[in-house]
Amino acid sequence: MIWVSWRQHRGQAISCLAVLAALAVYAILLGTSMRTAFGNDALTACLAHSQGTACPAAVQAFTNRFGSEVNIAFWSVTLIVPGLIGVLVGGSLIARELEYGTWRLAWSQTVPRARWLAVKLALVTGGLIVLGAAMTAVITWYRAPMDRLTGHLQHNIFDFEGLVLTAYILCAFGFAVLAGLLLRRSIPAMVAAFIPWLAIRLVIEFVFRDHFLTPLTGALHCVTACGEGIGFVPQATGRIGDLVLSINGNVVTYQPADRFWTFQFIEAGIFVALTAAALGATIWLLHRRAA
Amino acid sequence: MFRFRLDGSSGVPPYLQLVHQVRQSLLLGYLQEGDRLPTVKDVSADLAINPNTVVKAYRQLEHEGLAGGRPGQGTFITATSSTALPEEQQILRASLEEWLRAAEEAGLDDEAVTALIAVARQDMKKEKVKP
Amino acid sequence: MTQNDTGVTPPALRTDGLGRRYGRVWGLRDCTLDVPAGVIVGLVGPNGAGKTTLLEMIIGLLQPTEGQLSVFGETSRAPMAARLAEVGYVAQDHPLYRDFSVADMFHLGRAMNPSWDQQLALARIDALDIPLKRKVKALSGGQRAQVSLTMALAKRAPLLVLDEPVSSLDPVARLEFMREVMAAAAGTGLTVIIASHVVSELERFCDWLIVLTGGQVQLAGPADDLIDAHRLLTVPRATTDAELPGLPVHRTDSDRHSTVLVRTDPGRSAAQQHPGWQADPVGFEQLVMAYLQRPPKSAAKKDNAQAAARPGPSTKAVTR
Repeated sequence: MIWVSWRQHRGQAISCLAVLAALAVYAILLGTSMRTAFGNDALTACLAHSQGTACPAAVQAFTNRFGSEVNIAFWSVTLIVPGLIGVLVGGSLIARELEYGTWRLAWSQTVPRARWLAVKLALVTGGLIVLGAAMTAVITWYRAPMDRLTGHLQHNIFDFEGLVLTAYILCAFGFAVLAGLLLRRSIPAMVAAFIPWLAIRLVIEFVFRDHFLTPLTGALHCVTACGEGIGFVPQATGRIGDLVLSINGNVVTYQPADRFWTFQFIEAGIFVALTAAALGATIWLLHRRAA
Repeated sequence: MFRFRLDGSSGVPPYLQLVHQVRQSLLLGYLQEGDRLPTVKDVSADLAINPNTVVKAYRQLEHEGLAGGRPGQGTFITATSSTALPEEQQILRASLEEWLRAAEEAGLDDEAVTALIAVARQDMKKEKVKP
Repeated sequence: MTQNDTGVTPPALRTDGLGRRYGRVWGLRDCTLDVPAGVIVGLVGPNGAGKTTLLEMIIGLLQPTEGQLSVFGETSRAPMAARLAEVGYVAQDHPLYRDFSVADMFHLGRAMNPSWDQQLALARIDALDIPLKRKVKALSGGQRAQVSLTMALAKRAPLLVLDEPVSSLDPVARLEFMREVMAAAAGTGLTVIIASHVVSELERFCDWLIVLTGGQVQLAGPADDLIDAHRLLTVPRATTDAELPGLPVHRTDSDRHSTVLVRTDPGRSAAQQHPGWQADPVGFEQLVMAYLQRPPKSAAKKDNAQAAARPGPSTKAVTR
């Protein structure tokens, strides 16, 4: 049954590997040039004893050079690609069997359909976790120089480091598998899963994330003119990596940088719970239809 | 190896067709005492018919004394062409040959003979149904 | 073949009041059958009559809404794996995974069936000249049908279920396919159920019949017994149903006479009491067509038909 699941998803696995390889090539190219630039601009030393305030021009130059690439390229990645990967893999998992009538073949062999589904889901989910982890690792590696200037609580950056990228993929996958069982057609299932996934994704990021824990407040810390940041480097709290939420006169409301992993667990936890609910519902529904 | 045929549209049950073919072949000399008939599996695969039908035909042949099974070896013809027909039918066959000779002398060809038989049969059926 | 502890083979299929409802509509109702092992069953009925519903319940793809079902002794309450192991299935249109090679399909068979006979599968494909490495999508319709059949036969289950197996095949492929089925049945004492809506070819394949219309069984039993139990009577036009020596199944009226297919009551000889009548045996195809044309609502009469058709001690053991 493991072989069967592998053989049926072999094409998808190869495509995912190709995506990962393309990402890795891009990351290596960009990452090495970033590291070189970082070294050339002596930013390491500067950051070590001044949090970037001693070399604003260099910081500005660096972030201008690499900032736009980070923004444009990865806005689409963080928002669309995990969802696309998830629905493309999940939408056809059950739906294709129903569309082509091969369920009559698959579920009349000596393996009960609940076990058929469980093994398939375990294998594919495992594969997606590996893919997500690999993508996260590649992106985290290449982002490392930039992260030293900006931290990774910022919205775009948070989305593809840590745990959440994998969790996004799993959630889209779970929704698509369930949609495939209910709608019985692959493409409609993919669309029907992607839309709620995207909606939830946007809502959690832009409505809830900033307040997963109660924000802290502190005194406004200005180096040059108050209210001005330096590129991506927030100086309002005096520390790199804090996420500034608002500034009211002299008071800064922010999330401290060290909450990164806590927030990662919370957001990933939400998406993993949604995944578990969707896949659990799928298994239960399939079992109930057989009974 | 003896090969059977099946006429799907003849209206005659398949097993009877097999029995008739053996009987016909015996009468014509194409099958002789001691010949082995094909196995049930071979016949059912060759003709694409139910093996139980073949079993039934072979049982009927045994019942009529035309063939018999030897355990482990197959089914063999046990009759000769002269013993192939039951006695009443041998008598009928003899009088039929006489009639056919008379019909030929009267100038009837094969088609006319067949037509005559058909008409006579129809008339007999009508007789039976009259209220 | 499966046998219970006493060494006796249980019936291939036994159902009792089996029914399946889809929402408010009954796809199958009051289905009571007792099919012995070793026969080849023709399951006949128009599209929508309930054939696929019955087959899917036999295979284990569908659960009954009411009634009992058992296949070689495994009831519908038995564990799924045990139930699925009893039946080999070729669905209509012979579904296979198009991107798989024939070898891949056999690998799937081996992975998903403990009783898989790889030697048998390879031998069959070799005899049919189908290359193992070829992808399913590159096979002809007839070849795909043969691969599907091989999948079902290599499972070595005691019951083979074919749902309209040849309706999409050209005549030569049809013959080849049915040849393989008959040869497989001859070798192993396999029980086969063939669902079809084409009546004309059934006689050569089937020795057991089930006629299904409107979700109800109209006729069921060994073909020979059913034919013996019916007479085609030619009677005067004025004859009423009550005067007939049995249950009238189908009646055709002409100006002066009527032809009635009658299911004779046991113990009443047919035409002997009426010298003006003629009694002929009914042909296989005629019998099936007559029952197919009956309105489905004749439930009470159907009970009589089934009760008499259930094979009693006269069922002969089949040896091939």
